[in-house]
Amino acid sequence: MKVAYPHMGYLNIPIAKMLSDLKIETAEVPPISRKTIELGSLYSPEGVCLPYKINMGNFLEGIERGADALVTICGAGKCRMGFYNAVQKITLAEKKQLQFYTINTDSLFRDLHRFLCTAAPHAGSFSVIKSIVAAIQMLKAIDATNEAKNFYGARSANPEEIIHIFDNGLQLFRDCRKFSDISRSRNTVINQMQKITGPTEIQPAKVALLGEFYVLMEPHVNHRIENLLIKQGIEVKKFACTGDWVYSKTLLQTLGFYNEEKDCLSQARPYLNYHVGGEGLKSVGNALACARGGYDGVIHIYPFGCTPEIVAQYALKNIAADYHMPLLTLSLDEHSSDVGIITRVEAFADCIKRKAAQRI
Amino acid sequence: MQIKVGIPQAMLYHEFGGLWNIFFQNMGIPVVLSGETNKQILNRGTLLAMDESCLPLKVYLGHVDALLPECSHIFVPRIAQYHPNFHFCAKFAGLPDIVQNTFRLSSDQLISPNIEHKSPVKQLQALQDTCRSIGLSAVPGYFSYRHSLKSWKNNTSGNTLSKRSIAVIGHSYLVKDAFFCHDIMNMLTSRGIAVVTPEHVDNKALYAEAKIFEPDIYWQLSAKIAGAAHFFCRQRNVIGIIVLSSFACGPDSLMNEYITHHILKKSDKPYIIISIDEHTGSAGLMTRIEAFCDLVEWREKHESSLPSYGISEHTHCKNAQ
Repeated sequence: MKVAYPHMGYLNIPIAKMLSDLKIETAEVPPISRKTIELGSLYSPEGVCLPYKINMGNFLEGIERGADALVTICGAGKCRMGFYNAVQKITLAEKKQLQFYTINTDSLFRDLHRFLCTAAPHAGSFSVIKSIVAAIQMLKAIDATNEAKNFYGARSANPEEIIHIFDNGLQLFRDCRKFSDISRSRNTVINQMQKITGPTEIQPAKVALLGEFYVLMEPHVNHRIENLLIKQGIEVKKFACTGDWVYSKTLLQTLGFYNEEKDCLSQARPYLNYHVGGEGLKSVGNALACARGGYDGVIHIYPFGCTPEIVAQYALKNIAADYHMPLLTLSLDEHSSDVGIITRVEAFADCIKRKAAQRI
Repeated sequence: MQIKVGIPQAMLYHEFGGLWNIFFQNMGIPVVLSGETNKQILNRGTLLAMDESCLPLKVYLGHVDALLPECSHIFVPRIAQYHPNFHFCAKFAGLPDIVQNTFRLSSDQLISPNIEHKSPVKQLQALQDTCRSIGLSAVPGYFSYRHSLKSWKNNTSGNTLSKRSIAVIGHSYLVKDAFFCHDIMNMLTSRGIAVVTPEHVDNKALYAEAKIFEPDIYWQLSAKIAGAAHFFCRQRNVIGIIVLSSFACGPDSLMNEYITHHILKKSDKPYIIISIDEHTGSAGLMTRIEAFCDLVEWREKHESSLPSYGISEHTHCKNAQ
């Protein structure tokens, strides 16, 4: 069995590590590129959302490299993602005899454990759980370095270098062997950033980045919008972290300590009063918290036609008006070119910086 | 101002509208319906809605807009889930908030009970919310609701499929909206072909038909469509199938592919999938329907002279199913 899995942000680093630890053979899917998106679009229904098409592209490229088992997740709230696998199976089955494993996010820990035990029958249950915990640990560490990048990058005279340190740091995580390596790598990377930045007392303009999970996580799809902003000297806070998400979904939720829906619901009132699937409620809740918490602007980013985010937009429009908060909405499809996005983000950055200057 | 409840005649009205109507009537509350969709409602809705919203949502906002001047309350129930195995599309769960955010209504202008599932407790809660918003006591409301539920259920009865007909399948808010389907129905009847829709079949039967897909489909209305497709494909009198879908419909973007693969391709019936949007010129639509009718009639005429391998392949598929 040769396993392939779709890309999502930095998720491939801990997953590759987890699978290789358990000696599961993988077909490494190349990073998302123009070709991935074009290939995926070719084999997808026309009106479906961008993540579907890119996942499809990942699978097809994985099959090209000899994969015969595909792993994917389903069951994200009530959005279309829960139905991806049922349709993807149809198209992919025409290409090759494949095994299709679906991991339901509502029972993430159980499904993941079950999948790993089937894929690696020789590994004991203890080593499976250990590898899951290590993967979560690594995700959280990468998230922390990403956050540090956004913090120091916006305050540094040379943000390019901070971004460079971060990109190199990812390689450190790839080479981690033990638990202690993970936290050591994190500290090394953050220290490097700290060293070249200088004093950090000044608060630059601050922007919240929120919207649909996949698009937020995957830098190739969101046109590296975080880097674009920090190069403009704007601090970005991203409201989606795989590490935290997986941690709360696997451990806390399994133990019954955590209920994300409840938290978001109280945050989003009175603009949105019900869970609308996907990240819709979270987008509204976070936007409202940011509007009250002194952010200079909000960027809402999602794949074209994403129903939960469209419902959220009705509320976001009013929050922006009521709190006099600049709002940039970016709806991405497979045709979005870099130039269009960069122009809009730069124009928005100018607007934010002017507003922040007035505040001081 | 005297109480006057407005019910937008769009979206889930086409599923549950009968019940809502009877309920308010039994309670002695004057009800205003927004009427059939027309060009003005569509245009107004398109202006009000966010660009990427689906067509039915745009139309819905147009209906609400038409009701606002003459009603004291607007009835926008939040139906998130009705059956434990199914969900509705995300926009239904957010519908009252969408209306509220678009029109900036005060909360007492909106009657929006939460219907999360069919359990008696939840129904009672929803009922209480509705009664409270119009200042009535919940006890007579309860009896009136029980009464309405009974007469509503008696009303929905099955119809036999005896004539040669074409099945038009799709979300009820498209198929039952005369504004979108007027031309299609006319074209078919002018050619002497009757039209059947999922409405003509008992709901229970449709869900039972959809059961073969149970682990996969989790949208309730999509399951109904899949069930209808499955049912009509087996009827001898149904000579063709038209699947209607709206542009930017989330569930349909995947379901059309799914139904095509698992049902339509495996049957021997001619089928066409038509996607409609807010552009109202009907020439393009008519050309497609006309071409489809030609195909259906040609198939009917030549059915007996079709080569036998075609037919044997089809029987093979059916057995495999």
